[in-house]
Amino acid sequence: MKRITIDPVTRLEGHGKIEIFLDENGDVKTAFFQVPELRGFEKFCQGRPVEELARLMPRI
Amino acid sequence: MSRPKVAIYWAASCGGCDTKILDTDEKLLDIAAAVDIVFWPIAMDFKYADLEKFADREIDLTIINGAVRNSEQEHIVKLLRRKSKVVAALGACAVSGGIPGLANQFTADEMLDYIYRKTLTTEPNSQPPKTETETEDGVLTLPKFYNTVFSLPQVIDVEYFIPGCPPPPSLIAKALELFVAGELPPPPAFVVGDKSVCDECPRERTGKFEVKQWKRLATHQPEQSNKCLLEQGFLCLGPATPSGCGALCPKANMPCEGCMGKSQDVVDRGAKFISTIASLYPAKTEEEIKKMLDEIPDLVGTLYRFDLPSSVLRGKVKKS
Repeated sequence: MKRITIDPVTRLEGHGKIEIFLDENGDVKTAFFQVPELRGFEKFCQGRPVEELARLMPRI
Repeated sequence: MSRPKVAIYWAASCGGCDTKILDTDEKLLDIAAAVDIVFWPIAMDFKYADLEKFADREIDLTIINGAVRNSEQEHIVKLLRRKSKVVAALGACAVSGGIPGLANQFTADEMLDYIYRKTLTTEPNSQPPKTETETEDGVLTLPKFYNTVFSLPQVIDVEYFIPGCPPPPSLIAKALELFVAGELPPPPAFVVGDKSVCDECPRERTGKFEVKQWKRLATHQPEQSNKCLLEQGFLCLGPATPSGCGALCPKANMPCEGCMGKSQDVVDRGAKFISTIASLYPAKTEEEIKKMLDEIPDLVGTLYRFDLPSSVLRGKVKKS
């Protein structure tokens, strides 16, 4: 079983990693896209003044 | 003679800093002609494996934006530190933690539990990602999500700091031009103006003033005048913030949120600004002080928006 790892995925806005597993014939058997990054705006923006979200969220 | 090697990396960041490197416009062409860019994930195709191949200190300058919030970011910034002669922190996240640093008010478990189990749009029975996941073909790995957000200088030694959220392209160009010319000042050094945002702000103060009420932008609109926003009662962090941005926000009727950080003689910017708030607002009794604090709905998010991880408290005290 051959495994191809693309880390990081480049030339895109964001963090990404791809794992591809090949079968005996060299064809793609399974492939996984992973995002190895989280900052958590969903949580830390909660409870903040609504007018400030317009200034916090552009930094997402 | 070979051209100096430059690497650019982003950790926990939004990509705004990379965009601002591009926003140096035609100056970028001169800089790109003078250096060899050897790593820049957002713009060019290099892999982490390529980084390992550099000799120690082979890269002349590494510019890192973003905070450090997981094990992969820690690994890469430490690797880049080893491979580089000079490291520069670009943007508020790398310099002092930035907006992602507001997550220091929560534990990693609180963050993951909400984000992967409880938001309105989360699928039922979802689980937070694990650092290792077995599949029938092999094990997939993800970085460990830390309990705390770190600024770059809390993880590695940093020679130069270019603050701002995002950093002004003029300062980025200035730093890169100084690097190309071999004229960077002795480290550590901040690439900022030597005054405060107020000195670049065209608004006017009438003199000594008192603030009777702190106004929220949701309920009050700044006057259509040239009057100082702080004097109007909006919490503008201009007096406590280094210049260099050209007072962009106050010019657009928005109070300064302090993204250019603090002056170097200040230990804790939030604490320092609380004394400014207290001296402007004539609160004497406990009730008056309570009324004043009630007028500021998010003290942490206002005074530590860009530097909670590098403040004295660093965030919520966590047990693990």
